[in-house]
Amino acid sequence: MVNVLLRYLNLVVVTLFILSLLSFLLAYLFPGQAVENLTGLRLDELSTLQNNQLKYAIDDNVFVQYWYYMGELFAGNWGVSFSSGLPLYEDIGHYLPASIELSAYALFLSFFIGLPLGFLAALQHHKLTDYGLLSVSLLGYSIPVFWLALIMILGFSLQLGWFPLSGRLSLIFEIPSITGFILVDILLSDSIDKQSALIDALRHLILPTLSIAIVTTTLILRITRRSVIETLNSEFILAAYARGLTPRQVLMRHGVRNALIPIWPLLAMQFPTLLTNAMIVESIFSWPGIGNWLIQAIYQQDYPAIRAGMLAVSVLVVIFTMSIDLTIRLTDPRRRRVGRAAI
Amino acid sequence: MVLLDIKNLTLEIDISGGWVKALDKINMVIHEGQIHALVGESGSGKSLIVKAIVGALPYRWRITADRMTWKGQNLLTMSVSARRKIIRKDISVIFQNPINSLDPTLTLGQQLKEMLPTDKLSKLWFWQRKKEKHALAVKLLHKVGIKNHQLCLDSYPHQIASDVVQKFMIAMALASEPRLIIADDPTRGMEVTSKTQILKLLSRVNQVKNMSVLFVSHDLLAISSMASYMTVLYCGQTVESGELHQLRKRAFHPYTQALLDSAPSFRKDLPPKSPLSSLDGTIPTLHHLPIGCRLGPRCPRARKECVAIPQIRRVHTHFYSCHFPLHWEAK
Repeated sequence: MVNVLLRYLNLVVVTLFILSLLSFLLAYLFPGQAVENLTGLRLDELSTLQNNQLKYAIDDNVFVQYWYYMGELFAGNWGVSFSSGLPLYEDIGHYLPASIELSAYALFLSFFIGLPLGFLAALQHHKLTDYGLLSVSLLGYSIPVFWLALIMILGFSLQLGWFPLSGRLSLIFEIPSITGFILVDILLSDSIDKQSALIDALRHLILPTLSIAIVTTTLILRITRRSVIETLNSEFILAAYARGLTPRQVLMRHGVRNALIPIWPLLAMQFPTLLTNAMIVESIFSWPGIGNWLIQAIYQQDYPAIRAGMLAVSVLVVIFTMSIDLTIRLTDPRRRRVGRAAI
Repeated sequence: MVLLDIKNLTLEIDISGGWVKALDKINMVIHEGQIHALVGESGSGKSLIVKAIVGALPYRWRITADRMTWKGQNLLTMSVSARRKIIRKDISVIFQNPINSLDPTLTLGQQLKEMLPTDKLSKLWFWQRKKEKHALAVKLLHKVGIKNHQLCLDSYPHQIASDVVQKFMIAMALASEPRLIIADDPTRGMEVTSKTQILKLLSRVNQVKNMSVLFVSHDLLAISSMASYMTVLYCGQTVESGELHQLRKRAFHPYTQALLDSAPSFRKDLPPKSPLSSLDGTIPTLHHLPIGCRLGPRCPRARKECVAIPQIRRVHTHFYSCHFPLHWEAK
């Protein structure tokens, strides 16, 4: 147990180290002076600042520079944006939760729809339900996310007028940002019109969540279906039938758990795809998330923002994937250590 | 009393468009309290017969029989749930591959307790039942010779040596106190000590509890040490069946003779440094089954007539199906 934890910790630390190294190198690879890209301040501003308060290690060698860079990263001092002049750490802290919120809802939605449908398709293998679900999932899987989002806007916002076109919350509500997650913030706030704010936030959420969730749902459906079919064909399931258990007992006691085990790592691998889709959808719905923010930064050639944003997103992905992997590793009984005592 | 009566059991498998008879007119009768051996090479369909009896076959396969009854009840025409009840109550299978036939994510204790019949528990409340189940499980483990019962019950299948798992499988098979135990090659790949233990265990169960055993194997030594009746299978056809001592004394079918000859420890008259006998060729694959008697291409006595399926003939309790049986020459 401790051994496994240490191993994963080691892996995470090494990966994060490489990521920080890459983000540091980006400052050199981008056009312009490295010190500009790292701080977000122009050279003339820097030279005026340097004389009175700011010190920087531009004349030292690269390793010393990296050391200082890491120190500033951990101090929460990520530089400022070229375009807005705002500190990047606060900016990312504000935009990243919005993206996480959107992706999390989409992920949960896909689970709640994809897993049961996957089981249904597998249990009806080679029957009409199976083929129907499979073709629908193929359709959902093949639709590009940006196009789907546009079609949804066209249909549900412009034609039918059911849902708002863009944004996260109507401007008439004033919700202070505490956690960065809009639904939590609304519940925490002492606004007079909590309920209508909540409904408004949910209406804003539905279209972007759906556009992301559809692709992920079809993926989960297909992965689940495959895994359940494979599990139900395995020898111990046949053996359980041969022991005279009913199909229901076989499925509930032996089928479900064994089918779910191989699904989790595959799903962890889908998380980066989900986040990419979320970024695209964000910029279409003008959702104030990290994806939208990053794309704006790229348009404006805001190199410090690109550097910091990419570092933040990749760290998030690495930590999420690793923690799922670790959970699987620790809970899977098939990987448990063999006892030494003889029987 | 006849427990299991199978007559002309045929199993067809769909292989790339064509239906192939993997089992062709199998006949077998198992009496109460008997140890019945089922012998054949690898690929002769022994395990298929076992699966056909307990109904653990893929649903796409076609299974037909003139008669397949359990204590007089027809297994093929009864409803699926009625058949399942019979299997749950009266028939237990010990599988060839013990580790693969156990759920890898449940402890052995959970799986053993699952097999205990609920109607045999006397207590009412679930905590009492839990205790009773545990006591029964421990008793079963002791019965099959597993001493460290707590460790065994708490372990997962992959954590335990394969011979112990095989003993555990026997305990699981005994849990429902069945009338028939089907042991599908239970000693495969075991060294001699654990093999003897398992064989002894099976014969003791047969003697003490009067349970019948269908012993599926190709290990003639093991069979001769415990079985009383033997059915020889070749390539999905029953070639000969009869009392074991009669078969050993005088086999009628050339295949049985070849099988007995191929086990050197069976032949007392084998001179030193003499070549060991075996049939030429190998067992045909399902794609290339010969018509008529399937032994035809390998049989030393094959003639033109062997392209027709031979009729079953009998001499007392001894059945064989061959056009030119060995004892005809003696006449």
